[in-house]
Amino acid sequence: MAAPTTEDAAPTADVEGRSPWHLAWARLRRNRIAIGFGVLFLLIAVFCLAAPLWAEYVAHTGPNQNHITDKITIDGRLTNVVSTDGIPIGPGLRGRYLLGADQNGRDVMVRLMYGGRTSIYIGVLAAVITTVLAVVVGMLAGYYRGWVDAVLSRILDVIWAFPVLLLGIALGTTLALGGLSIGGLQITGNSLWIPILIIGLVYVPYMARPVRGEILALREKEFVEAAVAQGKGPLRIMVSELLPNIISTVIVFCTLNIANNMLLESALSFLGAGVRPPNASWGTMIADGYQTIYTAPHLTIVPGLMIVLTVLSLNVFGDGLRDALDPRATIRLER
Amino acid sequence: MRRLRRIVTILAATAVTGAGVAGCGGTKSITGAGGGAKGGEVNVTMTSFPDYVDPQLSYTVEGWEVLWNVYTPLLTYRHQKGDAGVDVVPGLAKDMPQVSEDGKTYKLTLRPNMKYSDGTPIKASDFTYAIKRLFKANSGGSVFYEGIVGAKDFAEGKSDTITGITTDDNTGDITIALERPNGTFNNILGLMFAAPVPPTTPLDKESTNNPPPASGPFVITRVDAPNTLTMERNPQFNTVKDAGATEVADAQVDKILVSQNKNNSAQVTGVQQNTIDFMSDPPDADRLPEVKAKFSDRFRMEDSINTYYFWMNTQKAPFNDLKVRQAINYAIDPEALNRVFGGRLHPTQQILPPGMPGYDEYKLYPGPDMEKAKQLLAEANPADKDITVWTDDEPDRKRIGEYYHDLLNQLGFNAELKVIAGDVYFTTIGNTSTPDLDTGFTDWFQDFPHPDDFFRPLLNGENILPTNNSNFSQVKIPANDATMDKLVEQQLTDDVRKQYAELDKSYMEQAVWAPYGNEQFTTFLSDRMNFDKSYRHLLFSQDYTSFALK
Repeated sequence: MAAPTTEDAAPTADVEGRSPWHLAWARLRRNRIAIGFGVLFLLIAVFCLAAPLWAEYVAHTGPNQNHITDKITIDGRLTNVVSTDGIPIGPGLRGRYLLGADQNGRDVMVRLMYGGRTSIYIGVLAAVITTVLAVVVGMLAGYYRGWVDAVLSRILDVIWAFPVLLLGIALGTTLALGGLSIGGLQITGNSLWIPILIIGLVYVPYMARPVRGEILALREKEFVEAAVAQGKGPLRIMVSELLPNIISTVIVFCTLNIANNMLLESALSFLGAGVRPPNASWGTMIADGYQTIYTAPHLTIVPGLMIVLTVLSLNVFGDGLRDALDPRATIRLER
Repeated sequence: MRRLRRIVTILAATAVTGAGVAGCGGTKSITGAGGGAKGGEVNVTMTSFPDYVDPQLSYTVEGWEVLWNVYTPLLTYRHQKGDAGVDVVPGLAKDMPQVSEDGKTYKLTLRPNMKYSDGTPIKASDFTYAIKRLFKANSGGSVFYEGIVGAKDFAEGKSDTITGITTDDNTGDITIALERPNGTFNNILGLMFAAPVPPTTPLDKESTNNPPPASGPFVITRVDAPNTLTMERNPQFNTVKDAGATEVADAQVDKILVSQNKNNSAQVTGVQQNTIDFMSDPPDADRLPEVKAKFSDRFRMEDSINTYYFWMNTQKAPFNDLKVRQAINYAIDPEALNRVFGGRLHPTQQILPPGMPGYDEYKLYPGPDMEKAKQLLAEANPADKDITVWTDDEPDRKRIGEYYHDLLNQLGFNAELKVIAGDVYFTTIGNTSTPDLDTGFTDWFQDFPHPDDFFRPLLNGENILPTNNSNFSQVKIPANDATMDKLVEQQLTDDVRKQYAELDKSYMEQAVWAPYGNEQFTTFLSDRMNFDKSYRHLLFSQDYTSFALK
């Protein structure tokens, strides 16, 4: 961490004209560890987005294509991709099967990249759903208070009362067979939207509660009274007065929520209640791989390592973001 | 990995004449008795605990493995390895039954002066009590005995007795009247379900925590379900042996501790390090090569009578088209699936497995031949290419489903894979109102060694049931149904076996299934055990009477 207090001591003229976002960006840039992990996350995202290119031009196979009885030349010798005993080949410096094969002869590198897309896709979209729902619920409960707050808070309490993983498993296994049908909206049991919606829903209380708390405090402030005096309606006050004041909190929560979502997705998929086979996610890859931990440890280690790196990068970057956006944080600009 | 025997919902009893099943195949050396060190204690592990510690209720591989040497039915199966083990022989009965000319009446006599492990005399009426328990305790095995006169009325509460069973405790005579002749009835009398139990056993509920006293070589002395159970020598078993039950093998060890252990790898390590003497399940594919390579002096593969296959719903598109079904059979690569099983799958392309009477090897769809498969599909040109592939979430089966899903997509279908929990899988696909029942994974392990046990529940058109259906392909071929009914009325002679082989081929000409393998099991023992003596029985898995320490 950089030495504190220099910002307060800086000449006023130097900071004039710089927006809070500008200041936050300046603080963030100073936190090289956070920036480093942010870059790492971006690299992982790019790596995953390149999955179709790798599959098409390097591995020449899709993520779900089986090659159980195929052979590949390794060190000049024709080798079974999966041995007659069912043991897949391991990693090696080659285009195809760079990270080895799984028990169905699928290219682990290709599945890792596609799995990463799935995990990040679910993590980000679920975070968006959580954020939108949490902000709406938290603002309504905090602004209106009274019976609105009581009803919304009790609903949140009910969701909160269930352990996240158990709730996720229960919803995941229930919806896996029949899918989800709400009005005209039909989602099949195999759709990625099932884990996205489940994960998006179960984390709402964890963000809505702090948002509600902040709104409860903010609505008593003078600028809200001034807005009311000017004749602004509740919706306008919430959107134009209150939301900008909690946006930094929301951004930080959202970033950290992506990491939590990815962990939950992996756990659910590992337990068979998240991403449905044969689709790859890092969680399903670990679930498939741990059966062969003795003879093919790469099937578990590689996706596990990717989860660790991704979640670590998001958490460290999220912490840095919080420090940059929160003016009460210990980090300060140095002159 | 559990091979839970599914409840058979189809009445096995059907029109038959004759005395049932004769000897099935040649004899091999007896491995379960005599010689070597006696006594000692053995530790056994299972990945799944027996479903019930109760002869009338247990219907899993694990349950039957334990109970076979605890409870002895009137008839039983020879304690021998290989085909000789599927011979029905007298157990508590003096001889094989006398069957009336019309094939509807079976007469047996109980051996005299036998006692249960607690000293209670074994009586002829205990057999009636056991059959009554099947119905009152809602046993999955009750369907086998519904063909006894009066059994259905008893089951429905219309009668207090099963009129078709009469017994005399003084003479030991037992007479069983059937509604229709049933050529498989000797086999059915040899199932664990029919083992006599004393009337002190609860009639209408399970007795897992307090199992009935034993009539076999071992008695269960302690049960802590679903964790452990202890088997010890039956102190009264000499009364059974003295009564002349020579075919019921005696125990060679004094005590067997059976424990549940969910970690297959830990079980392998336990056997390697001699802390576990026998693991009931095969080592996972992950450890199998190591075990094969390093412990060949105490590990071997063992045959089992089963068939793994993909069912295809013949009643709806696209699998109502013969060419589509034939295409699938051409496309499937049994070697690929063998590797999924870690090399424990004997490739096949027919209904009956090796070891089952009537098995005669043939191959109608040589392959894998993707070109031929695609050509057949092009000719069929199915309008509906959106299909759902079903499998359950046990690791091997999930991988099988993934292979099949990919294969169908390669053939041009738009396949969706549905993987559901193993404990509800068969009830889900066995409910014909479940949407999108197109094709999927299944297997079948024999209940008794008669080909009718494969054909009738799995392929007879009369047995397409709305729930608990086992005819997943919904096959209805009236000519084959009639052949099946005719054959089961006859003794299992060489000619009848040949006709069953032809029936097998007839179904596969219609490509009603896509069979691909017969799973092999394993015997893996600790270094303390006498490996040569121990063997796996074709019906009841490991024969615990063959356990002996060095």
